[in-house]
Amino acid sequence: MNSFNRRNFIKAAIAAAPASAFLTLPQTAHAGKKASVVVVGGGYGGATAAKYLKLMDPALDVTLVERNPIYTSCPLSNEVISGHGKIEDLQIGYDGLKKRGINVLFDDATGIDAAKKTVSLKGGKTLNYDALVVSPGVDFNYTAVEGYSEALANSSHPHAWKAGAQTLALKKKLEGMQDGQTFVLSVPKGPFRCPPGPYERASQVASYFKHHGMNKCKVIIADANDSFSKKGLFEQAWARQYPGMIEWVSGANGGQVVKFDAASNTASSDFNAYKGDVVNIIPPHHAGAIAKHAGLTNDKGWCPVDMLTMESTLHKDVYVVGDACVHGDLPVYAAPKSAHSAATQAKVAVGAIIAKLHGLPAPEPFFVNTCYSITAPGWGFSVVHVYRVKDGKLVYIKEAGGISPVKMASEEQLVLQRKLEAEYAIGWLKNIMADAFA
Amino acid sequence: MKLKQSVLLLAVLGLAVGAAYASDPKIEALARSCNSCHGLNGVSAGPSMPSIGGQSEAYLKNIMLQWKSGKRYSATMGRHFKGYSDEELAGLAAYFSQLPWTPVVQHADAKVLAHGKEATDRCETCHGATGGKPDDAETPRLNGQWAHYLALELEKYRNGEVAMTHKKMRKNAQKLEAADVPAVAHFYAAQPE
Repeated sequence: MNSFNRRNFIKAAIAAAPASAFLTLPQTAHAGKKASVVVVGGGYGGATAAKYLKLMDPALDVTLVERNPIYTSCPLSNEVISGHGKIEDLQIGYDGLKKRGINVLFDDATGIDAAKKTVSLKGGKTLNYDALVVSPGVDFNYTAVEGYSEALANSSHPHAWKAGAQTLALKKKLEGMQDGQTFVLSVPKGPFRCPPGPYERASQVASYFKHHGMNKCKVIIADANDSFSKKGLFEQAWARQYPGMIEWVSGANGGQVVKFDAASNTASSDFNAYKGDVVNIIPPHHAGAIAKHAGLTNDKGWCPVDMLTMESTLHKDVYVVGDACVHGDLPVYAAPKSAHSAATQAKVAVGAIIAKLHGLPAPEPFFVNTCYSITAPGWGFSVVHVYRVKDGKLVYIKEAGGISPVKMASEEQLVLQRKLEAEYAIGWLKNIMADAFA
Repeated sequence: MKLKQSVLLLAVLGLAVGAAYASDPKIEALARSCNSCHGLNGVSAGPSMPSIGGQSEAYLKNIMLQWKSGKRYSATMGRHFKGYSDEELAGLAAYFSQLPWTPVVQHADAKVLAHGKEATDRCETCHGATGGKPDDAETPRLNGQWAHYLALELEKYRNGEVAMTHKKMRKNAQKLEAADVPAVAHFYAAQPE
């Protein structure tokens, strides 16, 4: 194989992930030794990265480090809280990735040495890497809300902003409510994981109330922000499905919760006090702790990356994907922290890593995001984002994307549109989970 | 690389030389992003989402361009395709059409299947007796497609309020009784070929 043909061949193989599963790429950059890629974090971003690394270059030695043997999907977990979905349908293990030849270690990454290119694990092991993918998700800044704490989150006052035990704990609290009571939901200042998530949660809580004939219950959203994702769509759904039940208080109107008193169940901003029978504080968050520890974060706690490759701008050969990264100077809501974004970023990182290991320039990246929300059974809508490279920069394509239509020509069209997207949300979940974990 | 060897490798990669996507490897990077909703190799794991790998090039290209222009109603896809050039959509159609059609055979009650077989009489001319051998290149395969997806598509055709471009399909879908819809969907979903 001469060098010209080899390069073209690898280029084609990099582009042809699914079909190239049976091929072994020539290891030019690492003759005699398998190149190693370590992935830290096995959520949507990390699992997708591990799988596609192996799919696109089966000769790679791929190791995934993850704390929990079972993953619980955050998308569609609000539907578990309301009782419309089951948590078992959101859970998946790592056997699918193991069967693909990925070395899965259930351990905790405690340190990254970007100079020595090593990852140390709590269990005592040290892993060497040629390239590292960090997909640590988010951790919470509990001190931002005085009186709230990790201990409260894990006991009496779950935030449930990571799906799992806290999702079920919040469901139980909701199930303990009586007609006429109030559910307070506090939303942190963006950027946060799942931009439409809090408003979907409020909808699902209202759906639970309505379903159980608790029509005098209220949901108060105390929001640090002055607008929110899919606002027109949510407000339309609330007016139709839960008139008078959901109240949204913007940051400008004193919605930013800074204090919580667990004894009286009161969340307070500088101006207002919100007393609830159930109070759900979503604390502000930042990149998962390991990212900060490894020096991958900026002064706001997020990981800046070169969006053309997902490589950290702070450390070479370290690629950050998923909720932990920030997209250069793109606005917050044009680069949402979603499962779909994480998966698409992971595929971009994989293309760039394999190209680099073979001494080739990174392929042109392509990003897409689809994010569904369900406000009631049979009532769903979405936002779509498409990003392309133009003049060497990643840009949001304004002509494409956007939210589902708020108004349509007839009631029949609107009902059909919302029903289809509620169904697509569930189909999307099955596919994106399979694409990452199976 | 010897010519023979390179042709062999390209064949393993699934790259038919001369096809639109092979001349532009970017198409396959685009195709990877489709997997999030339509599954690896276009084989869907979600009952409301269609499998697309192995559908005909003409069908895929036609439907994607119609969604992009808004001529045909879509709940979500039109918003995606406005971010792709017509050439890229043609490339994606070519790419997914050369993947094998992989029916996901879903079992159903014998009574439902018998009902479905009878109700699909009117579908047979274009889609073939079991949906696996369509009459022409612009007609999609239905065998082993997800029943839930098929029922939702029929609902779009029967709705009458949204723009569904295929007049014959619209007419026939609207002639079905409401109870025929799930039976038709389950019938095709149960067919291996």
